[in-house]
Amino acid sequence: MAEASRLNLPAAPNTGAKPRTVGRAEPVLVVRAVIIVFILLFWEAIAQSGLLYRDVVPSLLAIGAAIVKLLSAPDYYWHLWVTASEVGAGLIVGGLSGLLIGLALGGNRVLSKAFEPYLYYLGPTPKIIFFPVMIMWFGVGPGSKIAMGAISCFFPIALSTAAGMRQIDKVLIRVGQSFRASAWQMATKIYLPAMRHPIINGVRLGLGVAIIGTLLAETKLSNQGVGFLIIQAYSLFDMPRMYAMLIVLFVLAIGANALVGRLGGLSAIRQL
Amino acid sequence: MPSVATLPKSGAAGAQTAADAGILVVDGIVKQFDTPEGPLVAVDRVSLSVRPGEFLAVIGPSGCGKSTLFNVIGGLIDRYQGAVTVGGETVRGPHPAIGMVFQEESTFPWRTVIENVAFPLEIAGIARKERLEKAKRFIALVGLNGFENRYPAELSGGMRQRVAIARTLASEPKILLMDEPFASLDEQTRLLLGDKVLQIQQDLQQTTLLITHNITEAVQLADRILVMTYRPGRVKRMVEIDLPRPRSSDVVSSEAFGRYVAEIWSDLREEATRGMQDEESRTLHAGAAS
Ligand SMILES: Nc1ncnc2c1ncn2[C@@H]1O[C@H](COP(=O)(O)OP(=O)(O)OP(=O)(O)O)[C@@H](O)[C@H]1O
Ligand SMILES: [Mg+2]
Repeated sequence: MAEASRLNLPAAPNTGAKPRTVGRAEPVLVVRAVIIVFILLFWEAIAQSGLLYRDVVPSLLAIGAAIVKLLSAPDYYWHLWVTASEVGAGLIVGGLSGLLIGLALGGNRVLSKAFEPYLYYLGPTPKIIFFPVMIMWFGVGPGSKIAMGAISCFFPIALSTAAGMRQIDKVLIRVGQSFRASAWQMATKIYLPAMRHPIINGVRLGLGVAIIGTLLAETKLSNQGVGFLIIQAYSLFDMPRMYAMLIVLFVLAIGANALVGRLGGLSAIRQL
Repeated sequence: MPSVATLPKSGAAGAQTAADAGILVVDGIVKQFDTPEGPLVAVDRVSLSVRPGEFLAVIGPSGCGKSTLFNVIGGLIDRYQGAVTVGGETVRGPHPAIGMVFQEESTFPWRTVIENVAFPLEIAGIARKERLEKAKRFIALVGLNGFENRYPAELSGGMRQRVAIARTLASEPKILLMDEPFASLDEQTRLLLGDKVLQIQQDLQQTTLLITHNITEAVQLADRILVMTYRPGRVKRMVEIDLPRPRSSDVVSSEAFGRYVAEIWSDLREEATRGMQDEESRTLHAGAAS
């Protein structure tokens, strides 16, 4: 856990795989709704007051109209698809290599001592500094964006896999051995399910930073993708459109995160 | 198993000499751990021979190496001196005839009760339907009917321990090693479950080794009791319990029963006192050093 806090990763949830009590969710929802409504009112007040430039803080109505316009343009979906596939490819490449490296580090004390410190130092570094290198290696197209997503999610996934492997209750391994499980059975029936929480957690964090890395790269240099559209709206000073895209993006990111969490929850309950 | 199973059950007290009669023979085991404070001898020259179908209780002060001895017998520890043989076959790694119940919490939290109990059958490649049916029987045996589809997190500590016992029983081992399996149970459940395990043991003629801190339990269940010394863990005494079976409440309240308990209690008190003094001087030294 000490490792996790250095990276500001949230601690892995406890192994007791119980869903939260449903009754508790309601007050939380109320608080959430109240805060959101309050923020919206505040925003609208500023927009109407004219304290700031109208263009910088457009009224909710203007933003709403921009969202409708954005979502009814087929062009937008094409850009969304470009970004989503870049993030997806980055997550697959970075996630699989992170998982393999994490397993190696978690299973081998010498390797972990030798290399894990570097991962901790590199983990919190803004990955955008690698972007020029990635452009040189993979070109100005999707390749360099995928690479940015992959680099971003590699670190949290590798580190939480390694930590998860070390945290496995040793007695569970002894149970498997004493029933003479094969290496494959040990891996699929004990190690992986025992590590499900840290791995899912790593994938969630990885997904977040992969989205950030990819979008950031798109805003720097590209002619397609949502990052490109946002920067374009900004340079045309089309603020309602820019806010509309940010809001849609925000909602999509929440949805993707919830999906990963849901998949993790399901695999925890179904036997592997 | 080889022909040893036909040997008479009531053997001589000095069983170490009749090593060839044992279904499980432990010969001169020495296990040393490397610790930051230097090497620590956890088990020191322990030899014993367990007769087929025998119920052997192991008793000794905390930290004397009982669990370590079980891990050696179960083939889960290497780099030790001496040898363990099962039916004449030297143990190298977990032996199929041996089933273990661990001292620690050992249920799989991601599996339901029935999936936990069916685990060894799944490992052995038994078809799903068959293994679930069999698992159900063993769940009933430890009194957990109705909890088949619960997760361990939804059970009490004692119930989880019973799941672990059922899981090992489901693999139907010829030799059963149980490390304080009843420790987290209340008195009544412990008596009931002790009876159940004894009944299975007698029915299946299962050879059983049981680590316990409960002297009454040991005398009540065992054919012989191995008393171990405080560090390094040696054989202090092997006590043959010559009481009739089944050990009903008459036997338990008999004078002979009381004598066994008193005898073992005085052995243990000696060792436990030594252990406490050792711990105390150690903490004092540590305090003086810092
Ligand atoms: N993996 C290990 N590394 C170092 N020392 C160990 C290890 N396992 C056990 N020991 C030490 O060996 C000694 C015996 O431990 P063991 O667990 O066998 O005791 P025990 O008799 O089972 O005690 P208890 O009744 O408390 O369970 C202890 O002093 C313990 O600290
Ligand atoms: Mg122990």
